[in-house]
Parts: sequence; C-alpha cells; structure tokens
Amino acid sequence: MSREIFETQIIRVFRVGGLVVFFAAAAFPFYWMIVSSFKPLEELLLHPENLGLDLRSLDFTSYRQVLLKHGFFRYIANSLYVSLMTVAVSVSLGTLGGYAVTRLRFPGKGIFSAGVLLVYMLPAIVLVVPLYVIFTHLGLRDSLHVLVLVYVAQTLPVSVYMLKNHFQALPPEIEYAGMVDGCSRAGVIWRVVIPLSAPALASVALYTFMIAWNEFLFAFMFLDTPDKFTLSRGIVQLAGSVHLSKQLVMAASVVVTVPVLILFLFFERQLVRGLTAGALKG
Amino acid sequence: MASLTLQGIGKRYGKTRILSGVDIHVEDGEFCVLLGPSGCGKSTLLHIIAGLILQDEGSVLLDGRPVDGLTPGERDVAMVFQNYALYPHMTVWENLSFGLRMRKVPGPEIKKRVRETSRLLGIESLLDRKPKQLSGGQQQRVAMGRALVRRPKAFILDEPLSNLDARLRADVRVELKSLHRRVGGTVLYVTHDQVEAMTLGDRVVVMNRGEVRQTGSPDDVYSRPADTFVAAFVGSPRMNLFQGRIVRTEGGPRFEGDGFSLDLHGWDDFGPEGEAEIGIRPEDVKIAPPGRGGPVAEVLLASDVGPDTHVHARLGREDLVVRIPGRTDVKPGGKVALEIPAERVHLFRGGLRVPTGA
Repeated sequence: MSREIFETQIIRVFRVGGLVVFFAAAAFPFYWMIVSSFKPLEELLLHPENLGLDLRSLDFTSYRQVLLKHGFFRYIANSLYVSLMTVAVSVSLGTLGGYAVTRLRFPGKGIFSAGVLLVYMLPAIVLVVPLYVIFTHLGLRDSLHVLVLVYVAQTLPVSVYMLKNHFQALPPEIEYAGMVDGCSRAGVIWRVVIPLSAPALASVALYTFMIAWNEFLFAFMFLDTPDKFTLSRGIVQLAGSVHLSKQLVMAASVVVTVPVLILFLFFERQLVRGLTAGALKG
Repeated sequence: MASLTLQGIGKRYGKTRILSGVDIHVEDGEFCVLLGPSGCGKSTLLHIIAGLILQDEGSVLLDGRPVDGLTPGERDVAMVFQNYALYPHMTVWENLSFGLRMRKVPGPEIKKRVRETSRLLGIESLLDRKPKQLSGGQQQRVAMGRALVRRPKAFILDEPLSNLDARLRADVRVELKSLHRRVGGTVLYVTHDQVEAMTLGDRVVVMNRGEVRQTGSPDDVYSRPADTFVAAFVGSPRMNLFQGRIVRTEGGPRFEGDGFSLDLHGWDDFGPEGEAEIGIRPEDVKIAPPGRGGPVAEVLLASDVGPDTHVHARLGREDLVVRIPGRTDVKPGGKVALEIPAERVHLFRGGLRVPTGA
C-alpha cells in the first residue's frame, strides 16, 4: 500500500469517526428528550436505563396534558406573537438602518456604523437587572410588548450589520437607474433594493426569530402572569412545580424545539448564504 | 428633445477638486462626446446632470431652464450605465417599462412603446427573459432600450460600450451612430476611448482633471489640439512631443531639440524665439529616400501592426514614433533620414497651442 493511499484511509477513518462522535454527542440529549416524552411516568421511574422506544405503545398523554391542562397552546401563541413581532420590527428597522449606513451620508455615520455591534457586546445578564427596575417603575414589566422591545434591541445590531454587508455588495448603479427612472429614494428601496435582498432578509428574519423564540432570561424576569408566559417561561413553570413530572417537561421541550428545528432545516442553505453574503462579490 | 447646457459646474469632495468651471452646451439633437482619461471627472459630471449628485457650483439647464432643484426622476433625462445596471429581478419587458410605469404612463401606451423600442433594437424575442439569461451584447441593448423607451429630453451615456469585447464594440459603435441618425435625440456620451469619440461625435469635448481642455469637431481636436494634453491624448500612436527652443536663423526658423535640430521652413508668424514644445504626429513623419531628407534617426524597433508599421526611432536624445503605411525594410540598428514637413509641426508655448502661420 502506497503512503498516499494509507494517509487517505487514515484521514477517512478520522473524519467518519469524528462525525459519529459529534453527532452522538449532539443528538443523544435530543433523542432522550423525545423518547422520554412518549413514555408514562411510571415507566420512566421503573426503567430509567431503557433507552429504547416501543413505537406500538406511544403514549401521548404528556402532550395532551402539556398542551391542554398546562396551557401550552396559550404559550405557543404568546411565543409566536412575540417572535413574529420581533422579526417584523427588527427586519424593517434593520433594512432602513443598514441602507442608511451603506448609501446615505450623515454626521456620526462612522461612529454609528462601527458602534452598532458594541451594543451586542453587553451580556444580557448585565442588562436584565437595570431593565427590570426601569420597567417596574414605568409599570410596563408584565407585558409581551416589553419583551418585543428588548428582543428588538438585542437583535437589531446584528440585523443592521448583516443587511449592511449585503447592501454594500449591491451595485449602486442599479439604484441610480431606479432614481433616473422616476423612483424616490423610498421607492428605490421598496422596488429595487428589497426584492434584490430577499435571501439576506430571510436569513435575518430566521436569525431574529430563533433568538426571540428561544430567549429565556428576560421572559423569566419580566413575565408574572401565566396568561402571558412564553414557551421557555412555561417550561420553567412546569419544571418548578411541586410534582416534577419529567415526561411533561420533555414533551414541553419538544414543543419548543421542533418548530425552530424544522424552520432551520428548511432555511439552512438560505441562512448560510445570507450570513456569508457580501463576503464575496459575485 | 431639448438642448442641454452646463454652466460653470464645480464639485469638490473635501479638499479634492473633481470638477471646476465646466461649460458644455449640447444642441438639440446633437451627439456630443465627452472624452477624457479615467478619473478626469466625466462620470461625476454625468451623475450631476442626472441629479444623482449635487454640484457645488454652477447650473444644469435643459432647454434653457435650470433643473438643479429637481430630483433625478423629475429631470426627464435617461442614463445608460457602464455596467448596464439592469434590474436583475425583472424581465426585459419589466426593465423596459419600469420608467414608464413609474411615470404613470397609461398601459396601452407603455405596450406600444416597449414594442416599438424592442423592435428597433431587435430584442423582441428576449422580452420574457431575465438579464442573467442574456449575453453582454443583449444586456447592452436592453440598457439602451430602457433609455430610448422613455423618449426623454436628453440621453446621457456613461461608457456604454466598455464592457463589450473589441469586435462587438466596433459593431455596436456603428449601430449606435445609425440609430442616432434614425431616432435623433440630444446625446452626451462619455468615453475614454478616442476612437469612439472620433467616430461617434458630432462634437468632442476633451476633459482632463475636472476641466474642459478643448471643444470642437473630431477634426479640430485631432488636427488642431488646443494644448499638449489634448495633443498627446488624442491619436494612436500618440503625437511625438519635444521640448526645446525656437530660433531664427538666416535659413529660416529652426527648432533646437535635445541633440537634434529641425528645419521649420515655411513658418512665418509664430511669435518670439525661445522655449517651446513642438509636436508631430507619427503619420506626418516620412522616412526619406537615401541621400535626401533632414535629421537622421537610429531605428530601435519596427513593429508591424497589419495595415501600418510603427517605427520606433531615436532622434538625438529623444524617442519618436513614425507610422508608415504598409511594410518597410528598415531594420533595427540602421539609420534613416526623416522628412518632417514644417506645416505639419504643432507649436505649443506654456502647454498651449500657438499658430505657426504655416
């Protein structure tokens, strides 16, 4: 066996081995979550070592309980509302901000453009206490709209940054052509820039949605009324109750994770393309 | 259609002056070419005319009325861009009709005009395609069509042929000229290619460093360059320029260059003696038959470019190019006598053209 073939084989073994190890590490908790959610509590307590799942005796009781008895339909609706609002506001403001930084000239543009990501450098844990105090004094605390506000503040820097990178890769002459053809600046953004930015906008929307959907800390601190809980806040409520029912928490976790997972798998190529847009022209 | 006038246009970015005191007048229906090297401010000037950039000084007039306060859309000027700038997400039909739709032209009229224009340019079969599915030449036609379909007061074109390959460029150049003859229109056409300027322009405006250096017919610019910049920029191979002194001798005026001397017999009214620069086009220099002729030069290189041969030679301590029709038997290293007719020699003082009376 020549050295080259030998080396290729070794590399192949390592590559496959590495992928298997990483996949197992990433997928096992997920698998465990799904399996546990389909078993009754007694089964989990009696046979904790049983990792298998009998597909003939799937037990949907936990899902029924989570969704109906523990109000998770309500939480899904709340989470959807907060996430979609965040997406809408963050993407529209991100579009305008990214465009302004790319094409318009105004005083403070350099500082704004460079500083926009600085906001992102502050960890949430540093912000949460002051915000808690401020919102409490303003009487705004227990509200979904405050969550939207916080999530927008959190995601907007990245939205602006990603869209700025994308807009910089668009040739300005296309916009000039639009203006010479009779569009106002706003008309050019609406009729030319936005249609040409669909992939970037989609990836920004997906990113924003995932942040808002998964966010826990602010939801945990700001929401008091169970009617207004988001999904992540609802799980804590469930896990913190007197009788900890493992299978219920697992079912609830599936309800939280699966939509994002599906969304991500569906838009994955789009997302990666959007993230790297502007890195290379062409 | 309308006349297009620029009055004293000036523009600076910070401390850098891009344009100063640019005056250009394009008559109604005239094809005017703006010629200049890259970075001389010609694209900036077009953007100012279109209203995409605001000038610091001066005024843009269409049909004698200032349009400085108007947005690009209100100016009724159509622009063709170097990279075509077609809307990638629209079909050719949508690209052509976009400007009309923005101006709220009624639907039937839009259809009629798009049909006419696409027939004129031979792009009827492409109306359903997206720009990406078109060749460079086809994209170029669509870009022209987008301007034509609007029937604007004036057309401004920013190096519209520079992205085409050499053969196609020559074809489109001819087509553009005949198109203008048929359709008419006030055109300001920017290029750095002097062949384009000479073949297309009713009038040529030569710019350098943000200033107009000469305005005139292609023949004016070529045969009577206003200064040494125009002299060197227009024409290929470029005009030979030599620094030296003009002196009057008993045998008539002479030019004393660096290591050579030229007889300028026939010049009569050329001002005082002294420092001057002369220019002579490569095709105006002849290689004299043996035993005759003036200054002797040493041949460095003879390059055969097809119809002509370009002979690079050393005259005194200066280099010069001679363009000879057809082939020649001069060999590198050999010596040749040159004939330089005095009436073909251009005289410049302080960089500006001075008549020689020849």
